[in-house]
This record gives sequence, structure tokens and C-alpha cells, in this order.
Amino acid sequence: MPDSSTGVVVIGGGSTGAGVLRDLTMRGIDAVLVEKGDLASGTTGRSHGLLHSGGRYCVNDLAAAIECVEEGRILRRIARTTIEDTGGYFVSVTEEDEAWEPRFVEGCAKAGISCERLSVEEARRREPALSKQVRTAFWLPEDGHLDPFYLVVGNVESARRRGAQVRTYTEVTGFLKEGKRVTGVVTHDALTGEETTIGCQAVINATGAWSGFVAKLLEVEVKVVPVKGVMVVLSHRLAHAAINRCHKPGDGDIVVPGLSVAILGTTARRVPHPEVLPIEWDEVQLMINEGAMMLDGVTTARAMRAYAGVRPLYDLGAEAEGREMSRNFAVIDHEQRDGVAGFSSIVGGKVTTYRLMAERITDLVARRLGVTTACTTAEVPLNDREDELDQLRQRPAQMGVPKPHGGELALQPLVCECELVRPQDVTTWFEDPAVRTLEDIRRRTRTGMGPCQAAICSYRLAGRLVTERQQEGAIATRAMADFLETRWRGVRHVFWGSQLRQAQVTAGLHLELFNLDRQLMTEKEPASTEAVGALR
Amino acid sequence: MKADIAVVGSGLAALVATRTLQQAGRTPVLIWPGLSSLYFTYATVDVLGYADDTTAQPVEQPEAGVAQFIADHPEHPYAIAGLDALRSGTDVLTEWLREAGFKWQGSLSRNLLLPTAIGTPKPCCLVPDSMAAGDLGRDEPIVFCGFSGYEDFVPELAASNLTRAWGRGDRWVRALRLALPGFEPGRLFTSIDLARSFENDAFRREVASSLRAVLDDSTVRIGMPAVVGLTHDSDVHARFESEIGHPVFEIPTLPPSVLGLRLFDRLRKHIQETGVEMIWAAPAHDAELSDGRCRRIHLKSAGRDQPIEARSYILALEDTVDGAMRAGVHNVVDPFFHQVLAQHALPTERTDESLFKPQPFASIGYRVTNRQQPTASDGTTLAANVFVAGGAIAGYDPVGTKSRGGLAIATGYRAAKEAMAA
Repeated sequence: MPDSSTGVVVIGGGSTGAGVLRDLTMRGIDAVLVEKGDLASGTTGRSHGLLHSGGRYCVNDLAAAIECVEEGRILRRIARTTIEDTGGYFVSVTEEDEAWEPRFVEGCAKAGISCERLSVEEARRREPALSKQVRTAFWLPEDGHLDPFYLVVGNVESARRRGAQVRTYTEVTGFLKEGKRVTGVVTHDALTGEETTIGCQAVINATGAWSGFVAKLLEVEVKVVPVKGVMVVLSHRLAHAAINRCHKPGDGDIVVPGLSVAILGTTARRVPHPEVLPIEWDEVQLMINEGAMMLDGVTTARAMRAYAGVRPLYDLGAEAEGREMSRNFAVIDHEQRDGVAGFSSIVGGKVTTYRLMAERITDLVARRLGVTTACTTAEVPLNDREDELDQLRQRPAQMGVPKPHGGELALQPLVCECELVRPQDVTTWFEDPAVRTLEDIRRRTRTGMGPCQAAICSYRLAGRLVTERQQEGAIATRAMADFLETRWRGVRHVFWGSQLRQAQVTAGLHLELFNLDRQLMTEKEPASTEAVGALR
Repeated sequence: MKADIAVVGSGLAALVATRTLQQAGRTPVLIWPGLSSLYFTYATVDVLGYADDTTAQPVEQPEAGVAQFIADHPEHPYAIAGLDALRSGTDVLTEWLREAGFKWQGSLSRNLLLPTAIGTPKPCCLVPDSMAAGDLGRDEPIVFCGFSGYEDFVPELAASNLTRAWGRGDRWVRALRLALPGFEPGRLFTSIDLARSFENDAFRREVASSLRAVLDDSTVRIGMPAVVGLTHDSDVHARFESEIGHPVFEIPTLPPSVLGLRLFDRLRKHIQETGVEMIWAAPAHDAELSDGRCRRIHLKSAGRDQPIEARSYILALEDTVDGAMRAGVHNVVDPFFHQVLAQHALPTERTDESLFKPQPFASIGYRVTNRQQPTASDGTTLAANVFVAGGAIAGYDPVGTKSRGGLAIATGYRAAKEAMAA
């Protein structure tokens, strides 16, 4: 007998898995999501956050472009508050870019993407930071910024309201089987080491770049090519809208303004494993140099950190590599293809089309389970309410200004001054058992993501581990150090100028004022059996 | 503008150098490039907390520790400045603190071990009176007192860590929190707001009385965030102690650090009151050299270039934070002579993989002569009348050994002596 049972186990806590979980529960199917790290800690949370209008794919990958158009419009209805409607520019800076233009205009028309040619003067009037090299510009109003963390959390919370369960830091290490039918999963808790089994009628593999490893446990093959992308975060936006190079998609040709920052993206290098994501200096340089071709100020802006994500490109067997490969997705019915009943995979795709991917695989699994309820995820907003106020995102818009809803003043204590995160924004997450490290708090609230990279808020969060989770000081302090080290891994790659000075303040504060280095030396062993950094 | 000796800097090295010159009857001009962030984190004068970056065993006697350190590291800035500079500079500072109205204690012969805001013991040499009762060489039990809604000192965290590090027998540690009148939950306030309130007698007495009401053990001492008075630290602290009837010690908090503000604000004002001319918030950005001497340095002030012509110059900027060096993507350059002090193909070469290990970057600086004059890359003296103190000297990394204050004092004092002789 398994330790617990449910209808469907969804493996993977990225946007696809979260979307699948929500879709299942909206069709009345019991479901449990298991994720080996935290929600949005793999590909989704390491994306650049561009909500694609489709313009980027309209020449080379028309099917993917059309999906982006349709899904972008749906997301603007159901996930309004995870999206900032920035619009986007496609600009050419070289003669080669200009040769691409007629194909681009034709592609936009075929895909149904709104696209308006602007004079350079008009474009620069709207975006004064456009570089002197810009020769032509198109305005695509349907480009936008999509906050990947809020998107995943919004889907998961909606599913939880319908009874779904979420288990983070829970890796699937094996399957329960009866003959050739999958009847459950064996899981391993990365922080406690605990093994459990979950019985179910079907398992959905939504692990993206990790799909092949999960499928291999059942001795079936899923070919996913992990392709790394490196991004650089600047401390302010530089532009109102997303800026794309109008050319054949290449490296470093997107600048995405997201909340208070701008993200320069990205590269495409095939990697041997989705967790081997070294940030190479030439990639960081490329992001900055290419970004500077489109926007003034990129080279002098404060770079806060660099990070790398991995695309889960599905190998359709063609010769294509990296960028040439389709951003399309595929549903794999392993019963039909491999004779393994109760198991299916959803591979490829991108964050913009996560909902459609979820719908397609849920259609398949629902059919197998004899459930005929139609998919409603394109209609029902993520917050399950008709009004547009999203509870997930109550953050003060401006210091000192009364909030538009609810009447309380926005001039309130802050846990993270850089990102304006208030105590109540983090407190709710300390109550969530799926939140198990300080990094998880960061993903859900943005605390620690600003210029100081957690120098200040890490102490306050560590304090809350003691007061709100009754952790021992030694564990809380270790969690604080782990949090700072994770931030440090990104800061090191842009270690110059203001960010270098910032790091010296961080070191002065934590190593000199707190003596944290000696605390870590004398508390080498975790103070209890609880794993280091893990929260109860 | 013409000057006798120009001192550039905003930290302890610049202040000690200026005071040393002043005491010797010279007329220094202090060029203060503005508040640095380290200004807010300074709390104690740490001379040598640990003999190296890897040991967890504190140095008990800082003076003897530095003597040994110099013997072991003959190229280190401490060795260049010399033990005598540390001793004499410390005398200058302690005398000055007294004259400026501070009550501090400690000496080079013994480190105190004081709990930090995470509850970890830390060796400190010279400390304000208001911190001294935290000395972990004493045995009285400790109650850490925090305040509701104040996130920058968490008594429960400090108590838990200190219990493991120090607690046994009668040495127990507890945490409590007080609700402060006027600081209701939901109000945004910082340590500065609290410190200002503690200067109000009625407020302070009310806090003392509610604290007395919850203390049931007569032997305890109280550890509090360093907010007991904003400027007149010693008086407010002494009154608060007598109002509670228990020893009280302050613990430095997250920035803004009231202890750092008190120290630097008062010393800066005192040196102005005693006649030193100060040029406020003017970063120096260039220097003119000829015949092996510095002829002028140039300040950026009020939208125009302001040249300063002095007989000699002390460059006492403490860190990149206050502009001692400028780090570009590949080159680290000094702001006066535009010498490339270090080159890195990859920015990651400046760092260790861990934030908690020594960072190669921290040791970058001018190679100096045995008189603290900056040298060019070929080893020749750049300017015979320029002397470097503080973090711009190569090899100057106080973080792991907890020696920031001592290094500033020693190099600041030595630079002043050399500048007078030049």
C-alpha cells in the first residue's frame, strides 16, 4: 500500500507543471504536484520574463508564433497582474537587420501579430534610450513582461484552493507498477531524506529539461536537448518597453524591463546536463555589448548579477541545433508509444504557452481517466475571481501613497527596502509548508532581489526563522549564510563598479559587524538533525 | 586653495591622521568625500581579532598579537606602519575620544569578547562604555531585549546562538521583546528614530519601567540594540542603566548603525570646532605630478574643479566604498594618479567562490614604500610628498582578521608622521 494516494501525480513545479495541476483540479481530478527543488526554481524562474508577442518566432517558427499570439491574449485575461503590458520594439541596427525586415513584416501578418512601423524619430521620442545605431523600428504592442514566479504561484494557489497538494524538495526516484501500468511514484525528500510513496491512476511528466531523466526511470526515452541561456540583470529599466533586435534570433538581442530592473538576454549553448550551467565571461560580455547596440546606458548601468537558465528543447529528430530548434511542444502518450500505461510527458514549449501545453496533456489524461469535463483555464482568472485585484500581489506601489484598495497606508515597515517587501508579504509564506528555504521566500516575494542582494533582508528573514518557525539560531544563521552565498554566485560575474562596492558593504556587515565567518567555522555541523537551511 | 597638508578621507585613518597633525601644531585641511557606507557599520575599534583568516580562536592580547603578526607578515601594511604607529596612534585616538566627550574603554593589552546581533562572540579592542557590559569574560546571565516591530535586532536569534557559544551553568541567555510607546506595529521606523526617542526622558523612563517589570533576576545584564541615544551616547546610556538597575550593553545593528554615526559625527564636528578646515563632500579625482612630487590634487565640488595645493598629501580613503579605488570591468584604477593597480581578464578572479572567504579584490591597492609613499608598477616612488593610509594600500584586508580599526589607526598615524617630515 502506498503512503498516500491521489488521482494524478504531476512531476515538475515549473510553469507547465503548475498549469497542469490547476487544469486537473479545475476538471475535478485529484492531484499532487511533486518538485525536486522549489516551485519555479528550474527553467521558469530563470527565464528573462518576456511575454512573447510572437514577433521573435514569426519568420522561422510560424506555428510557435501563432501559439504565442493566442496564449498572450489569454494570459492578459486570466493572469493580468502577473503581466506588465510594456509592448515591445523590434529595432534594426545593421544592414543585415534591414534585410530581415520584409520577412519579419510578412511573418507578423501571417501570424496575426499587431506590428506598426515607426519612424526612428518617433521611436526615440517614445524610448529616448534607443541607441544612435538604431536605423528602423517596429512597435509590437503585445510584447510584455511576465513575472514567472507569480505565474507559477498563482496557478499553484488556485489548484490548492481546489484541494491539490504540493510537495517541494521532493524528487521522484522510482515508480510503483503493476505489470506495464504505472500505479504511483516513489519520492525522496531532499532536505529530510525521507522516502514516501504516492499511489495514483496517472503520472504526468512535466519536468521540461529533466524529462529524459524521469522517463528513464521507466526505461522509456524522451529526447530533450538542454540549451543554456545566460542573462544579466541591470539595476534599473532603461526602457519602458521590451527591446528586441529585428533580425534572425541570435545571442543578446533582447532587453526586457521587469518591475524595477532590466534583463539582458540571452545566449544559446548546448549543455551536457540541465544542471551544468556555467556562466562564461564571454557570455556576460556579449549580453552587455549586444544590449548596448540597441540601448544607450547598458554599459554604464549597474549590473547586479548574472544568471543562467536552461531551455527544454524537444528533439523532433531533425538536424536542428539550439536556436534552430522549434519552440513548439509535444504531448507524448507513453501508453501508445512505449506500452507504459498511466504515464505521459509534455515536452518543449515555452513559458508564454504553458497554459496551452497544460490543456493538451490534461485533455489526454482526462480522456484516459474517463473525465469529460472541458478545460476552462482559458476563461477563469488565476485568482478565481472576476475582478482584477490579485491577492498575490499586494505590494505598495509607491512609498507613502495610500493603496488604491483597502485603505491602509503604504508607508509601512519593510523587510526588503530594495524591492519594497513588507512583513506581511513574507509572513504568509513562513506558514506554508512548501516553503522550505529562504530562497523560496525570495521567489515568492522578490525579497533579496534588489541592488543590495540580500545584505539587509537576510538578517531579518533569519530572525523570522527563529520567531516564526521556532528554528534554532544556528540553523537560521546557516540559512542566512546560504541565502547570501546563492546571491553571491550571481554577483561574482558582474564584480565591478557599484556592485563591487556593495559587496564590500555586505562583507563589512556580515563578516565584521556580525562575525558571521566565525559563526560558520564554529558551527560546522548543523545544530540539529534537520538539514542545513531547511525549514520545518 | 593652498594648504599645509591635505588629508583625503572620511574614515578612521583620515581622522587619526588629521588629529595627529593637529596635535603636532600643523594645519591640515581635511577633504571629506562624503558619507561612505562603512561609516554606518563601524561600531568598535578592532585591532586584531584573529591571527589569520582561518582560525576561530580569538586573539587575547591585540598588541602582542600584532607584534607576532608583523613578524609573520613582514610585507603587510601593519608591518609597514609599524607597531609603534599603532601604539602612538591609539594614544592619539583615545585621548581625542576623551576630549571630545566620549566614554570609551579598552586597551591594546586585552580584547573584549562581545556578542554581535547574531549572538556570535566577537573580539573587539576599544569599545564605547555602552557596549562594555557585554564582555563575555564576565559571568552574569544575559537577557537580550528587542522591540516589537523592530526587525534589525532579533533577540531570539542572538540568544539561541549565544547560548550554544557561551551558555553553561549560571551563564544563561534569554530573549524578550518590549512594545515601545509610540512605535506601534505597522509603523515604519529605523534605529535612528528609536535612538532619538531614547534621548527623551519620559520615553526612556517608561521603557525602563516596563523592562524592570519583566525582569525577575537581579543578576542579569541587558543586551539591547544600539539605539540608546542618538548623539549623547554615554549620558543617555548611564541614565538608562540607573533607571533599570541593571547593567545594559548596546549591540550594533543593521545599518543605519547608531554607534557608527555617534562616533564619526562627533569626531568630525570636534575637529572642526578645534580649528581644522574641512572641505565637505568633495571627491578628489585627479593629481598633478612633476619632478617626483605631487603639485596639486583636484576636487569635484559644486559643479566645478577645485584644485588644492599642499606641501604634502595623505590619501586615507578606507575602501572602494568611499572611492579609494575605482573598479572597472577589467582594471582597478586609483582615482588620483590613474595608475592601474590590478588587471583581471575575468571579474570573477577578484572574488572567491564563497562570500565568507578572503576576497582577492580586498588586497588590491598601491604598493607603497616603507614610508607609505605610493609607487608605480616599476617600483619607483610616484610622489615623494604623498602618503597612503587605509584601504588603498596593497595587502590591506581587515575583514578576516577583524583588524579594520587598528590598521586605520596605524597607517593613518604613520602617514601623518611621514607627511610632517616630508
